[in-house]
Amino acid sequence: MTQTKAGIRIENLHLSFGETKVLEGIDMVIEPGEFFAFLGPSGSGKSTLLRAIAGFGPTPRGRILIGDRDIVNLPPWKRNVGMVFQSYALWPHMSVRRNVAFGLEERRMPTSKIAPKVEAALETVGLLHLADRMPGQLSGGQQQRVALARTIAIEPQVLLLDEPLSNLDAALRVQMRRELLALQRKLGLTTIFVTHDQEEANTTSDRMAVLDMGVIQQIGTPQQLYDHPVNSFVAGFLGTANVLDGAFDGAHFVTKAGQRLPVTARSDKATRIVLRPQNIRIASSGDGVSGTVRHREFLGSQIRYLIDTPDGQMIVDTLHATGQPPYGEGATVVLSIDSQSAALLED
Amino acid sequence: MSASTDTAARRFTLFPTLSGAAVAGIAIAIFLLAFLVLPVAQVLYVAFLDARTGAFTLQNFQDFFNTTLFRESFVNSFYVSAMSVVVATMIALPLAYITTRFNFAGTAAIQALGIIPLIMPPFVGAVAMSLLFGRNGSINLLLNQYFGLRIPFMEGLNGVILVQSIHYFPFILINLSASLRNIDRSMEEAAQNLGSHGMRMFRRIVFPLAMPGYLAGAALVFIKVFDDLGTPLLLNVNNMLAPQAYLRITGVGINDPMGYVISFILVVFSVFSLWASFLFMRGKDYATVQKGGGGLSRRDLKPREKWLAWGVILLILALVLSPHLGLLLLAFGTIWSFSPLPDGFTIQHFGTIFTQSSQYVWNTLVYAGSAALIDVVLGSAIAYIVIRTGLPGRKWLDYMATAALAVPGVVLGIGYLRMFHGTQLPFGMGQMSSFWGIIIIALAVRRLPYALRACMAALQQVSISLEEAAESLGASRSSTIRRIVVPLMTGGILAGFVTSFATAAVELSATIMLVGRSSDAPLAYGIYLYMQSPAGRGPGAALGILAVVIVALGTYLSQRIIERERSRQTTAGDQH
Amino acid sequence: MHKIFKLSAIALMMTSAAAFADTVTVVTSFSKDLTDPFKAAFEAAHSGTTLEVVNRNTNAAVSYLQETRSSNTTDLMWASAPDAFEVLKGEGLLAKVDVQFEGIPDEVGGYPVHDADGTYFGFAASGYGIMYNTRYVEANELTVAKEWEDLKRAEYNGHVAMSSPSRSGTTHLTVETVLQGEGWDKGWATWKWISGNMNTVTERSFGVPDAVNSGSTGFGIVIDFFGLSSKASGFPVELVYPSVTSIVPANIGIIENAPNPEGAKKFVEFILSPEGQKVLLEPAIMRLPVNPDAYADAPEDFPNPFSEDFAPGAIEFDVDKSGARYELVNSLFDVLVTYRLDDLRAAVSAVQQAEAAHADSGNQEAAALIAEARALIEAMPITEEQALDPSYAQAFTVSRADPETEVVGRQAEIEQEWDRFAVENYGKAKQLAEQAIALN
Repeated sequence: MTQTKAGIRIENLHLSFGETKVLEGIDMVIEPGEFFAFLGPSGSGKSTLLRAIAGFGPTPRGRILIGDRDIVNLPPWKRNVGMVFQSYALWPHMSVRRNVAFGLEERRMPTSKIAPKVEAALETVGLLHLADRMPGQLSGGQQQRVALARTIAIEPQVLLLDEPLSNLDAALRVQMRRELLALQRKLGLTTIFVTHDQEEANTTSDRMAVLDMGVIQQIGTPQQLYDHPVNSFVAGFLGTANVLDGAFDGAHFVTKAGQRLPVTARSDKATRIVLRPQNIRIASSGDGVSGTVRHREFLGSQIRYLIDTPDGQMIVDTLHATGQPPYGEGATVVLSIDSQSAALLED
Repeated sequence: MSASTDTAARRFTLFPTLSGAAVAGIAIAIFLLAFLVLPVAQVLYVAFLDARTGAFTLQNFQDFFNTTLFRESFVNSFYVSAMSVVVATMIALPLAYITTRFNFAGTAAIQALGIIPLIMPPFVGAVAMSLLFGRNGSINLLLNQYFGLRIPFMEGLNGVILVQSIHYFPFILINLSASLRNIDRSMEEAAQNLGSHGMRMFRRIVFPLAMPGYLAGAALVFIKVFDDLGTPLLLNVNNMLAPQAYLRITGVGINDPMGYVISFILVVFSVFSLWASFLFMRGKDYATVQKGGGGLSRRDLKPREKWLAWGVILLILALVLSPHLGLLLLAFGTIWSFSPLPDGFTIQHFGTIFTQSSQYVWNTLVYAGSAALIDVVLGSAIAYIVIRTGLPGRKWLDYMATAALAVPGVVLGIGYLRMFHGTQLPFGMGQMSSFWGIIIIALAVRRLPYALRACMAALQQVSISLEEAAESLGASRSSTIRRIVVPLMTGGILAGFVTSFATAAVELSATIMLVGRSSDAPLAYGIYLYMQSPAGRGPGAALGILAVVIVALGTYLSQRIIERERSRQTTAGDQH
Repeated sequence: MHKIFKLSAIALMMTSAAAFADTVTVVTSFSKDLTDPFKAAFEAAHSGTTLEVVNRNTNAAVSYLQETRSSNTTDLMWASAPDAFEVLKGEGLLAKVDVQFEGIPDEVGGYPVHDADGTYFGFAASGYGIMYNTRYVEANELTVAKEWEDLKRAEYNGHVAMSSPSRSGTTHLTVETVLQGEGWDKGWATWKWISGNMNTVTERSFGVPDAVNSGSTGFGIVIDFFGLSSKASGFPVELVYPSVTSIVPANIGIIENAPNPEGAKKFVEFILSPEGQKVLLEPAIMRLPVNPDAYADAPEDFPNPFSEDFAPGAIEFDVDKSGARYELVNSLFDVLVTYRLDDLRAAVSAVQQAEAAHADSGNQEAAALIAEARALIEAMPITEEQALDPSYAQAFTVSRADPETEVVGRQAEIEQEWDRFAVENYGKAKQLAEQAIALN
């Protein structure tokens, strides 16, 4: 299957439901062939943005370009954008084969051409043997694949996936997301994946956008976002974060409680830093911030400590090695960091 | 019916094991047998008798199929029913589609107006329609004057189809709208996403998904039209089965068994149609398969589309409300003869009925109210027994109650006369057949299928886990029903009550056989009486307006309660 | 079942008051316009007595009385058609009561006023006439049809209505009157030609005046009071009596085993009294009293059947003959006319067109074709002798049939034969007439 790769460019997009502003000033560029994720909590506007690209919901202000074409004012059926719905939206009155053929029939393709394309699409998702079943007779994972086959059959310029894994059980979810990625790589389709699950976004996407309150907080590769979040929302949404308030003083960041931490990165404006739990070292004595173990969780490969410090509670993860006794609750410990491991926040 | 010797010993153990549901089930079965099955059987068995000797014979059925007129009547009845479904669909489909699919200002009003035709006594509707659409009705007089042409709206079978589809289309509208609302919006969006839209998408995706609801409504329309007697009789169309049956059963001194043969065939064919539609719909109730919800996505109309939509809707409303308009003109008109409008207007007709109408109104409220009450009690009980218990034969309660749909009112009326005449009631109330209570029972039996469907639907939406939760907290079966199930079913029960009440209030075909004294007569009967004399046309129409207003008011109030109940439950439901 | 008993208790309280009063229950086909003034006048004259009126059309009333005979609750039957009373009398449903009245002659217009056996009594006379809508006649530029013969003319095609004799006892009498007046074959021919001009055959007798009143049809064949009361109510209609008509009394009879025979008798005597007779002249009623003295108070041009110049051609109505073939004539009319109206109309209008096309052509071949077509339309499947033969006529009244008589065939069988006859003849007549038209 050859696909025309097309990038997506969104410029200054605004959208409201009545008085409520749902999307504000969205700007982004998605490269052709990229696997891009929209990540955010529920109500962040990520699904609304995806639906706006597909053409559902109220018409937004601003521009959405696929390739060079501005599609904002096109109806959904003229956009050639393939969408896989969270609920799969398979039509229960049609067989799998007819579901997949639907989009091709709507394009007035001759019947003789439709059949091989339907079979190819079903082959791609590995469900050719179930072509004559009704959707009601399929499992959740199979329905998901049919929905995918139905969408790729029309050879869209862009593939939109709306929380595609949320209705699957945990084991299947991991398997499906790998398959999705493999399929995307094979077809080279520009793909947008909407999820509230950071692990899904991290494992699949080339780049992602984190949304909150209808505003894009940050765009970048998963690692960039994790290591260098621009604000406490991104920091907190992507993994666990210890956020400290304070100010820079030369090569150190001075916390509110007066602790001095060595931080290489410099910014006179920044008043907050974020420390990932695994980047904090814990020792029974030595230089650093002293604290008391409040609580301990055994996570298998790691042990997570909740430690009372003068700047409030901090979370610290240590690798668990067999035979190494952990610190007990109530024990006095000293925390220290590498000067490169802190990230500066802009808010 | 086993030998009495050994049951005597077992009776002590057998009786206490009968659960409350079983007792209720048996009581309902007895009620339905006594007031539906046996009276109808009393009428229909004559079809199998030799008119002269009284011996059993199938000769009558052979005669039926040998008679050209009856074969033609059968074809005509079938044609009229099928065409009424088609025309009713043409009326209901745009209304349902526009009101469920678009953000449209008049949605609530349109849905409410769409129900009004059901509460018009059909024979009154036919009179009003003739005045407007007849050969020399207002429309044709104007057409003839300005364009020199006439359109045969009301000629022969056309008239029956027009009047019936206007009267019964709400059955399709109600069911289709409900189905459309239950379709998950992603179903539609997926189709749009794949390049489909407009009518093509409606035809390929939306309508097939709404098919179960549509079919339920269409089957109802088909059967009602097939069995209806009043409209063809009033329009003087007699080459149809129901009028043929009526004419042959009620003729003076005629002992023609063919009337009963036709009645038998009517009942059997209607039951068959019901069964066929059930069979077709089995396993196709897509609404329950889908996750999520939210209904079709509603879209704003562009200005041009808005004008078009309003145009279509106003045209349809003008058509479906034309009987009411005609009735209104009659009620306020002086003399209306061979002219587009009455010669003058007056309120005198309302003065005429003022003194006499209170009795009719009171009787109607008592009869239709009691009948609807019986219906929801029986309907909820049957629904509970069928859906929630494992009583053997419970499905038969449903089948029996639903079969009432297929029994023409006249057949039931005559059956009651045969069955209950001569049964003296206690306390000096006289004959059971002429006691007004029997009218209530006849109405209740005839409207039970409507209430039953509403109760069934309501109970299906009550999750069984809610009942289990109550039982696990120590509530008994009966108090679970009383405190959990019934309150949760309130909306559905009220909907059933409203449909039963509104349609019972304008029923005539069974009551006309059973009214024993004029002081016991309901409104519809009063209208019929007035309409039998030249001077009574205006007052009859005024009484008709009164009937429509009362029933519409009742319907509106109950609708308000239902909606309040529903919104209360959905907000509560959203919180989990 | 507890609910039923509760309801019963309520019912008891509500009905007990009525149950102890002196109530006379009457089943009637008359409209409120007639019954209400009588009820008011009667209750005023006999205080303490209530007249309970149950309205049913004649056929339903007879069926009702038959169905409920085992424990009758009705005191009186009150309706127009004498035939219905003949049926009730034949089934022993009417009581023979010695009713007192005076000033009423034995005959009106050649028809006996009361039943010779004293089981039912005429209280008002009715004639049959042609009712027409003046606006309709004017708009369609028609002349007024005054005789049955007129209605056969082509100019009235599609402008006439009547009710089926099987549904309306009064129409049955009209049909029977013409059959007796013109003879079986000629009478039926008249009916077929008139029916060929009809736009509808209604199922209720009131359907005809209703259609004329609203202007959906121009001419209606009706019993006179429908026309008179419609006119009195303000509708633009008129009524004419054709010269061949019969005056027939509208009747009242006491039911066998009546619950209140005394009250019933009181009511019969009341409506036959001068006071009762006067009620008939109220504008909404407009029926002809059977007491000649009552006409003294009548409006100016009110028809008086006792006057010399009223309906000079009135015939002597043979009640026995009518009774013997009652069901058969109804069924014959329905099969040949009501149910085959479309075929008959097509044939009649084809013949009318052919006649118009060849009015002056002098084409012998066409004239022969037309004559043949006319004969086919007029042909009858049975003769008058057959119609009066008990073994034939009683196929229509099997349950009441004389056990000695051997009945030939079943009603359905006979009707199917007539139907085939009618469809075939009408079809052929239409074909012939069209051939004649084509001969131009």
